[in-house]
Amino acid sequence: MTLSVPEGVFWGLLGPNGAGKTTLLSILSNLLIPEEGEVRVLGKDLRKNAMEICNRINVSSGHANFLWSLNVRENLEYYAMLYGLPGKKRQQRVDDLLDLFDLREFAKVRFDELSTGTKQKLSLAKSLVNDPALLLLDEPTVGLDPDVARRIREAIQHLHRDKGTTILMTTHNMKEAESLCEQIAFIKDGMIKALGKPQDLKRELRLGDTIFISFSGSLSSRSLKELQGIYGLQTSDSSCRILVDDHHQRLPQILDFFIGEKIFIHDLRVQESDLEDVFIAFTR
Amino acid sequence: MRMFLLLLQDEVTKTRAFVFKNWIMTKRNVFTLFEILFWPLVAFLSVGFLTEFAALQPAMKAFILVGVIAMSAVQVCQLDVAYALLYDVWSKAVKHGFAAPVGIRHLLFGSLIVGIIRGGSVFVILMVASYLLFGFDFTLPGTLPMGLFVLGLFLSAAMVGVFVCILVLVFGNRAEVAAWSLVSLMLLLCGVYYPVSVLPAWVRVLAEIIPLTYFLEYFRQFYGFQPIFSHVLVKGYVMVIIYLVIEVFAMKAALLRAKRTGLLLKLSE
Repeated sequence: MTLSVPEGVFWGLLGPNGAGKTTLLSILSNLLIPEEGEVRVLGKDLRKNAMEICNRINVSSGHANFLWSLNVRENLEYYAMLYGLPGKKRQQRVDDLLDLFDLREFAKVRFDELSTGTKQKLSLAKSLVNDPALLLLDEPTVGLDPDVARRIREAIQHLHRDKGTTILMTTHNMKEAESLCEQIAFIKDGMIKALGKPQDLKRELRLGDTIFISFSGSLSSRSLKELQGIYGLQTSDSSCRILVDDHHQRLPQILDFFIGEKIFIHDLRVQESDLEDVFIAFTR
Repeated sequence: MRMFLLLLQDEVTKTRAFVFKNWIMTKRNVFTLFEILFWPLVAFLSVGFLTEFAALQPAMKAFILVGVIAMSAVQVCQLDVAYALLYDVWSKAVKHGFAAPVGIRHLLFGSLIVGIIRGGSVFVILMVASYLLFGFDFTLPGTLPMGLFVLGLFLSAAMVGVFVCILVLVFGNRAEVAAWSLVSLMLLLCGVYYPVSVLPAWVRVLAEIIPLTYFLEYFRQFYGFQPIFSHVLVKGYVMVIIYLVIEVFAMKAALLRAKRTGLLLKLSE
């Protein structure tokens, strides 16, 4: 697998279970040594500069576990110490992270007494103790209720936007990937199957958008199909399903066509393809 | 100079992390209190009353009580070194610790500090109890011999603790049983309740490669027991330091192996 992630970009790693996403993050965070190949993180050889690189990166994973007897503040302090943050600087950092992730009220609650959502917030807070230049997120919102997941996504988004942190995230949540990631890599069987911006990937796969129209009148399928940007067409007596490359671009000409043919439209719906369609196309 | 101070601060902070972790885990868990109060006292009193019942001569009583007290201190101290890794294994948090830029030295020194505090507490408690209950004076050899003996015990404990960590990194969490069984093996081999001269020749060879054997021999000579081996203190220290250096490299190798085989990640699942 060859993958090069530019500085300051929010990357998403998508793929089915067992594709190798978590393995890749584990290799990048120096927890797993690959049998062969070269890993360069922040421009340096990971094997030769492991300590220096580990100091500048951090990782957060879904279903995170921390020392069960330590409370939230103590866990953050412990990991801040492991990253070498001295006295006052450490206290300040821990305080900032408690505020950033709304963890202040849980500061003295032991890890084994926290809810799943709060554990996940702690995991993210822990991953920021060293203010990393590269942040590795392994399914950061897995198993969370929608509200907590949304707040965690917002926190991640702010982090990327405000600090310009390079983020590499794995997720099974396609909407999450689409809303957060600037670039997406689809992985399957340890190989990158596709790489690019979400929009480009959809275009590449000719997934397009679907326009559903109910009408009354006589529709000439052949003429409609000849319009630019039409990938496919299914018609019945009173309805049709048109697959177009981009509905923003194609809808006006389709409407013009219906008007020109004096076909009366009763109902019109547009369904945009999303990353889930891309995911399914790639994993088939 | 400033660079040196920053590096020193970094080393101290990372070492302190392991002190912090072990200390809080110790404070919060009942079993760790049992480890320094219940088990050592039960073992000590059982053996102490046995020496009374057997009406042993003071020298013989000293021989056995030195062994029991030393063993209890070593047991507790080595557990703390092993706990530096085992707490993470039990919490399934191994990967977070090893993703951080820390070395084996931080883990070893940090956990050993807590081990010395806990093992030292056991040592003092049993020393006082032995004086009050059985009239045994542990301070008889003097401050320096006692200091050298105790330091030898703690280095031996560090050696055992690191060995447990190596086993866990090689064989996974099923090797955690070594944290409690290795010391029992030493109890058998190092002459805790009897001189190593009574051991069969082939077992005595094993006793000779364990530093604790020499530290016990060294301290017991102040109670009238001539050492079987020569230069016991030097041999004990040289041996334990060589073992510790080898173990640090072995643990680095075990960690690399665990990263290659994926065991490090499995320990977090």
